[in-house]
Amino acid sequence: MILSLVFFTFSFVFYLVTALLYIGHWVFKKKWIGQTATAMAFVALLSTTMILVARAGESGHAPFSNLWESMMLFVWATNAGYLILEYKHKFRAIGAFVMGLEFIAMISVSLLPYRFKSAEPLNPALQNKWHWLMDVLRPFGLEKYAIGWLDFHVFTTFIGYAGFAISFGLSIIYLLKERSEAKGTKEGVMGAFPEARILDELSYRAIAWGFPFLATGIVSGAVWANYAWGTYWSWDPKETWSLITWFIYAAYLHARVTRGWRGKRAAYISIAGFLAVIFLYWGVSFVLPGLHAYAS
Amino acid sequence: MQDKAKGTGGPRPWHRAVGSNIWYFFNSLKLTLFVLITLAVVSIFGTVVEQNLPVEEYLQKYGEKWTGYILTARINDMYHSYWFLALLALLALNIIVCTFERFPPKWKSLLNHKSEKFDVRLIDKFANHHTFEVAASTEAVKERVVNAFKKKKFDIITSGSGGEFRLYAWKGRIGRLGSDFTHISLLLILLGAIVGSFAGYKDFRAVFVGGEMSVPKADFRLKLEKFWIDYYDSGQIKQYNSLLTVIEDGKEVLKKQIWVNEPLYYKGIRFYQSSYGTAWNKVSEAEIAVKMKGKGQHGEPMLVKWEKLTPLAGTRYSVKLIGYAADFAYDEGTNQVFSKSAESNNPAIHLEIYDGEKLIATQWLFLKYPGIFPAIPNADEDLVFTGVRGIMYSGISINKDPGTNIVWAGSLVMGFGFILAFFVYHRRVWIVVRGSGKSTEVKLGGMINKNNLVFEKELKEIVESIGSEKAGGKL
Repeated sequence: MILSLVFFTFSFVFYLVTALLYIGHWVFKKKWIGQTATAMAFVALLSTTMILVARAGESGHAPFSNLWESMMLFVWATNAGYLILEYKHKFRAIGAFVMGLEFIAMISVSLLPYRFKSAEPLNPALQNKWHWLMDVLRPFGLEKYAIGWLDFHVFTTFIGYAGFAISFGLSIIYLLKERSEAKGTKEGVMGAFPEARILDELSYRAIAWGFPFLATGIVSGAVWANYAWGTYWSWDPKETWSLITWFIYAAYLHARVTRGWRGKRAAYISIAGFLAVIFLYWGVSFVLPGLHAYAS
Repeated sequence: MQDKAKGTGGPRPWHRAVGSNIWYFFNSLKLTLFVLITLAVVSIFGTVVEQNLPVEEYLQKYGEKWTGYILTARINDMYHSYWFLALLALLALNIIVCTFERFPPKWKSLLNHKSEKFDVRLIDKFANHHTFEVAASTEAVKERVVNAFKKKKFDIITSGSGGEFRLYAWKGRIGRLGSDFTHISLLLILLGAIVGSFAGYKDFRAVFVGGEMSVPKADFRLKLEKFWIDYYDSGQIKQYNSLLTVIEDGKEVLKKQIWVNEPLYYKGIRFYQSSYGTAWNKVSEAEIAVKMKGKGQHGEPMLVKWEKLTPLAGTRYSVKLIGYAADFAYDEGTNQVFSKSAESNNPAIHLEIYDGEKLIATQWLFLKYPGIFPAIPNADEDLVFTGVRGIMYSGISINKDPGTNIVWAGSLVMGFGFILAFFVYHRRVWIVVRGSGKSTEVKLGGMINKNNLVFEKELKEIVESIGSEKAGGKL
């Protein structure tokens, strides 16, 4: 058994427990359940970190090269991003949605066939390393652990995805909360969540993180493509879909400038944006042909 | 612009009216949203319909009727179609007009922000405002206010004296320029793409090991010294490598090993490792054996080098290897031999046969069909072709794109713009400190251009630190 897959099994259980605790905190409104949930989220984060570290050791390169590895990165980044949000704004109920999403991600990954999970050496096109970093690491004999544009590209892209995922969760909560506020109910199931106006603002903040990181991911992908294929943009389906997603969130940001597009409409665009992210990530890889296809 | 146009009063000449309407059209945020969403939606077509296939494949996949639509709407090469480029141009125009319209007044107000008059009554109108009393002298409270804001890295100016002070504090002005930097960066990236498509080119060359290749529109040549493949221990391919030498004016000026992800860059042109294979029209050596007519067995094969006259041991003949076809085919129309494919389906060599110094025959010999044509006319000996040593070729993509650096410069500007736009917030706070007998009233209110949650929190902390400092305490 591969060590990274052992850690995966642990993490799977941790995310299930974390999600249940956050939901328990949301429903029963007990403070101690919430604190336990946060503690479990940290345990899950640590365990996810160990998956990535173990995988880097097994494959001998940064663990961002196949669907399974990138999903682990997504789960990791979303968890870290959520914990930062929780620490900064002290709203714990949101965790029920974000950690629920994390657990769904873990389920979908566990259903992948083994060939998407195994540790493989890098094929020629994926070997892009920064020369300066290799020079720095060479005296210590760690040259082979140098990273490059590819790793940077995947990493920044997934921080972007994580931001969008969190914004997606917040937008759904916003829509539910907005409805309960319109009815005038202060207590009840939605009572644990912050006011709709704050949810709207937080959702925007998550996109304000995701958007520049997705852009950085697109640009660094272009830099890599320029090294590997001799052209920085070739309208490959993955490239195009990343641009489509970027256009949607650009529309979101511009729409926010006019007041009328806050709240509900903004939440709908955010949800549409995340659906585009899911298609960009899984749909394009399995349905459409191209350089990023995992299915071939 | 519309407001300005109205403000001029009186009838305007028609071209002004049209001009201002066009300007107004391009200056609208609605247009931005329309173009962004349209681009997002239409871009999907190009990912669903595979791009740049031969027409037959579209016919096969979509049938005659739909292929007609696809070709008419240029969806087969959508991202270079006139209407897609027009959408991009619309976005660019939108950006340019909006920048022209919004940047100058914004710039002016950012420079002159201190002189803006403020009405004390307006303070209460801000979404974020506080009024509270502090038990200390007006002068001391004013000092506290200044310190509290300075601690939060605000700039602050004071006016007034004695019983009433008016203060103005601000922070993160430059954040306002983030959107402008981002917009300009998009124009730069588009410019880079345009420069690349007009001033650049893409090409491909297959070059044999030991051979040279010409470079289009350049005064140097490349020689392929070596091509090799690295493998992992597991047998998977690790890397494709070519060792290239740049030859300029007959001199070797540069030697570089390239591989996938590591191109050669010389005089603005990049050379990429993009494919490899065995040559179909050239070999380094061929094996030829002598066979006496009527005998079943042939002798030991001898190695004959490409284009080098080689005597065949034990005979009076010499041969010269002048041609090769991996998949022999003959075109009757042009009377020429060619290779049908790059695969070794029917390898054949072309030999010149000499009797001493005299050329007596030229003949094709086939690996799979030995002896179907006698190699040497009127002789007891025959020649048998038994094998070849192939030559590898390396497929080198050539790309000159002077726009690339503009695109990268644009990307850097975009990164800078993002930092300003998303992580630097412009805050402005107006404060009045007014003495009323023993205590002092502080009234402050202000705004932030985004991220109101941060501002709310920050202002609360400032208010607390003014109110609770040292002996002070709230009233």
